[in-house]
Amino acid sequence: MTLTDLRLRLRALFLRARVEQELDDEVEFHLAMARHKHLAAGHSEEDAIRLARLDFGRVSSVKEDCRSVRGIIALETGMQDIRYALRSFNRNRNFVLAVSGTIALGLGLNLALFTLFNAYVLRPLSIRDPYGLYAFTWSDSTGQEHAFTWDEYRELLKQKSIFSDVAAVQGVYTRVEGHAFRGDLVSGNYFQMLGVGTTLGRPLLPKDSDAPGREPFIVLSYDAWQSRFGGRLDIVGAKIMIRGFPMEVVGVTPREFQGLGESPRDFWSPLSMAHRLQDGPDLFGAEHPESLEIIGRLRTERSVSAAEALLLAWSKQMTAQSTPEHKATGALLRSRATSIPLTPELLAVFSPLIAAFALVLVLACTNVASMMLARATARQREIGIRLSLGAARGRLIRQLLTESVLLSIPAAILGLIISRLTIDAALWTVFATIPKDMLELAHDVARPVDWRVLGFMFFAALISALLFGLAPAIQATRVSVISSVRGESTSDVRPSRVRNGLVIAQVALCTLLLIACGALVRTTMAMTTFDIGFHTDHIIAMEVTDSGRRRVMDALSTDPEVDAIASASSVPLGGRLPVVSASTGGGPTIDVARNEVSSQYFDILRVPLLKGRGFSIEEASPEAPVAILSAGAAARLFAGRDPLAQTIRLEAPERVVRIVGVASDIVTCCIAYGKDAAVLYSPASPSKTGNLLVHVRGEVETERHRLDTLLAALAPGAINDIHSLDQYRAVGIYAFQVASMIGMAVGGLALFLTLSGIYGVVSFFVTQRTKEIGIRVALGATTLMVTTLVLRQALRLASIGISAGVLLGIGVARVLASQMIFLRVFDGAAFAAGVLLVLSTALAAGYVPSRRAAEIDPINTLRYD
Amino acid sequence: MHRVSRLDLLQGTLDLLILRILQSGHALHGWAISERIRQISGNVLQANQGSLYPALHRLEHQGWIKAEWGVSELGRRARFYRLTSSGRKQLQQEADNWARLATAIGKVLEMA
Repeated sequence: MTLTDLRLRLRALFLRARVEQELDDEVEFHLAMARHKHLAAGHSEEDAIRLARLDFGRVSSVKEDCRSVRGIIALETGMQDIRYALRSFNRNRNFVLAVSGTIALGLGLNLALFTLFNAYVLRPLSIRDPYGLYAFTWSDSTGQEHAFTWDEYRELLKQKSIFSDVAAVQGVYTRVEGHAFRGDLVSGNYFQMLGVGTTLGRPLLPKDSDAPGREPFIVLSYDAWQSRFGGRLDIVGAKIMIRGFPMEVVGVTPREFQGLGESPRDFWSPLSMAHRLQDGPDLFGAEHPESLEIIGRLRTERSVSAAEALLLAWSKQMTAQSTPEHKATGALLRSRATSIPLTPELLAVFSPLIAAFALVLVLACTNVASMMLARATARQREIGIRLSLGAARGRLIRQLLTESVLLSIPAAILGLIISRLTIDAALWTVFATIPKDMLELAHDVARPVDWRVLGFMFFAALISALLFGLAPAIQATRVSVISSVRGESTSDVRPSRVRNGLVIAQVALCTLLLIACGALVRTTMAMTTFDIGFHTDHIIAMEVTDSGRRRVMDALSTDPEVDAIASASSVPLGGRLPVVSASTGGGPTIDVARNEVSSQYFDILRVPLLKGRGFSIEEASPEAPVAILSAGAAARLFAGRDPLAQTIRLEAPERVVRIVGVASDIVTCCIAYGKDAAVLYSPASPSKTGNLLVHVRGEVETERHRLDTLLAALAPGAINDIHSLDQYRAVGIYAFQVASMIGMAVGGLALFLTLSGIYGVVSFFVTQRTKEIGIRVALGATTLMVTTLVLRQALRLASIGISAGVLLGIGVARVLASQMIFLRVFDGAAFAAGVLLVLSTALAAGYVPSRRAAEIDPINTLRYD
Repeated sequence: MHRVSRLDLLQGTLDLLILRILQSGHALHGWAISERIRQISGNVLQANQGSLYPALHRLEHQGWIKAEWGVSELGRRARFYRLTSSGRKQLQQEADNWARLATAIGKVLEMA
């Protein structure tokens, strides 16, 4: 397509009326002139008109021919280009394979990532009109978001002008027969609102929620039905025990429906069963707990912002009587169309991954651009001849770009295959390495190749075609007509300079990627061996219900394998602790994390008490006015003074506690954040509150399984969660281990692409300089000298690229330093390892061509011309 | 279908004629070009003046001629065509081809 053609076609497309009018005018002018001529020749007015029309032919068909010209030209030349490209591909099958294979590697990796992203974030849930579904929360002046009470939900149901239907949901997390069993207690309209049916039996209906506890019905998910109940067809009507309460199965949901949240659900029951299945305050009781999640179907005529404004007004009205800090100041609707909502935060978390993957595609494109340039140089003569015969440069560039686009088609298809293999391999690796207890919470969803994946595939393929095709096309057509026709392709022709630039860029990006991967791997290694300040071995953590605590404690205290039982309101390595403000008289006020622990806590975790003592038996209650500080908290509150027997004041709720001991620092929240800066321990008793930490004699996993089964029989439904502390630790590190594995795979691929890139350029260097090297050898250059000449070329490119990569690495590290807390960004070892790896790769890539150069026979090469 | 194939047959010749007529450097409108063709060819190519216009538009799309609106000798608005530099090159090439073909055919005819 020539530029003129494109301009005229665009004009015809966008200014259709005007172009048509011009055509009419032009024909009209012709007919007028003809009539004028015939009149002058003495014909009558009538005859003149008739003759003019006769000479002209059928006006409508002439206009039609003119119109078709606008479309035809581009098509014709496009077909020519395609035929020409296909002919030349047929002659160079290896070239086509190398190019599409390289692009497919980079594309496949990105496609795999996109397929997963699509499955979790972009693909709508299989429910009726998913894009009309929103979760609603309100926030107070501190920004804290709130759930809803039962009464508030009843009120919201009356707001028919905002939502056409509103459902309330409350999560339940329990165990059934030694497996985690997650479900949602839902209002009776839940399944109707979502338009979700059942594969077996019936869904829950509004009448099921008529009265609290009347009808203990349960709907199972397809996966739970298959994996826990063996897909029994007589499951409908069967009774299963949940929290020791018999529930009748009324239906099984379709396989595609796994609930609305990020993690899959195993069952659904009516909200009216809350008092049976839920620990904590009664949903319908006097306490009015804020425990309901609200999901509504927005009325189609309402925009999200308009609905939010209405909901804010409603929330303000609902909280008008509340304390000032509990008044609504914001209302928020979040789309529930997909299993993970697409938010800026989500993109921010995954941006390093996306960037690394995109870089690999860019590396692949660089390689291919380099190959295309080499090919273009080899075709210099052909291009020169075509130019000298008057071919327009634009036409040639278009021809070369057509080749690129055509090459991207097999690359896209190959990429799709590679992406499926990559996903399978990645999932296999994850299943092989994931901590055992994490596995049962993993959310496996369908990962179809739908129109979004295909669209991404073609888009990415086209972008890469332009990336690898444009620069070589422009460069290749910039040849000197004279010298190329004479068959000269000297080493100072610009394409080799562009190729060198490409390789330098490639080395730089590869170095950057390897440095980042190195830092990631070293961080993971550091986390794995990090001293968390306590021992996790032989300890099982359990979350128990208040109603079942008595029976659990009885069973554990008489168990011969159980050494000791401690309790903690927060299990170590189990996540963030609540924070309170603490101050000494006159000293600073600081925020301290608070954990309520029993006296055995320090014993079984083997946390040394640096000063003072542990809690006594009499003090075993959170109300006792005593506390133990972590070393960090003591240092910050007392700055070198002895904290023992001193008092500190806590706020919200306000009280004064006396320090009885100082414990050494440990990691309570998460390994990624390191040891907690300041922790305050209050006394507690395992028979009253908190998670239980049980020290066992035997092998911890065997014991965990035995206790799980034992307690399920002795105290049905009392255990919500049971894991060894070793698993807590493994889970905490796992995300980083996965990141490291991805990093190593990406780094390896990048290194491979760089290797082949350098190899290509150096080989080409040798081919181009065969004559020169032959002369050198004839003049007495030794093998070593020739090898050095070639290797020096490889090293020169590599060292420039590496320097640029290191600078880039420092730049990226500076940006990331502000975001990552534990990650060591300025990691000298990672920098050194990255540089060494790339350097040795460059040498390896240069070695083979250098040997070939050394074997050049001067006689042959000089005779060649 | 029949009409199109006849157009194809004439196309190359017509293109060459149009380019040749515009070679003088003056911008000409469709009617003037049609009259020139009639005069030069001695009324041979007079019939079906309409087929001139698709050819003109085609050449314009190829970038060989350029069109602009102007005022004709009778004071009417008309579309004037002018040869571009790449059109000049194209004319040269096509004229050469034509000459070669004519020579070749002439030789063949003489031989027979």
